[in-house]
Amino acid sequence: MLHEAPQLLMALEQSAFASGIRQSTWAYMTANVGHILALMLFISAVAIMDARLLGAFAGTPPGGVVRPARRCAALGLLLMALTGAALFSAEATHVASNPVFQIKASLIGLGILNAVLAGRLIAAAVDRTPAFTPLPTPVRACAMLSLSIWFATAACGRLIAYF
Amino acid sequence: MRKSLVLLGLALAIPTAVLAHHGWGSYDAANPITVQGPIETLKYENPHAQITVKTPAKVWIVTLAPTSRMQVRGAPAEFLAVGKTVSAYGYPSTVEKDEMRAERITVDGKTIELR
Repeated sequence: MLHEAPQLLMALEQSAFASGIRQSTWAYMTANVGHILALMLFISAVAIMDARLLGAFAGTPPGGVVRPARRCAALGLLLMALTGAALFSAEATHVASNPVFQIKASLIGLGILNAVLAGRLIAAAVDRTPAFTPLPTPVRACAMLSLSIWFATAACGRLIAYF
Repeated sequence: MRKSLVLLGLALAIPTAVLAHHGWGSYDAANPITVQGPIETLKYENPHAQITVKTPAKVWIVTLAPTSRMQVRGAPAEFLAVGKTVSAYGYPSTVEKDEMRAERITVDGKTIELR
């Protein structure tokens, strides 16, 4: 596995797709700007969703906030994955061996795992919680975990360039 | 459940292989150098263009800027054609052997700032 991974990454980096991104004047730039814009969509939706789960905007029933915010977050995550894949493939071998990227990739895995596992728990709790009522502790814990994971992920993303 | 998640997280977070990497924080700005010689190869690519420069002592890998910035500042690919003589002022990498990041380059008497 350890010996195969670098070869796979090398093949990705040498693919027509990756060299096209490197050789185009605008492709890498566009993916980079797109990644930041997708991050804004994603983190704003996540922040609204998690803030509501933690007890902010208590006057609005949680379902009306959490469901649309979750869909926005999913769209943001998809756009981040697409732009991120373009950025990654252009420099696959260097980026993959960067320790901060490895932490970031792990955090993304944890964040998605948390979102999927907490999804059903949150959906059920949100449906039976009216306005001005705190959500159950496990739901709030998942929201706190989500916020922490995604902010740490964003920090790691920027820090890749410095390690 | 939560304990197994924490364990999974730790397992994922432990880097599987620490190989040489290429980061922008890893240049020795306290010890600037000037590398001068003919351009041997040119990779006019993103995220950073790169040339190799032959000096009497060794062949340097000189990391430049994104190609859009190079073009805007007057350094298109032709400016760095293989065979031309370049003088690159910059900082040696603390990670990668014989690699430096150029602050500015001079070709044909024309100096281009890259930061």
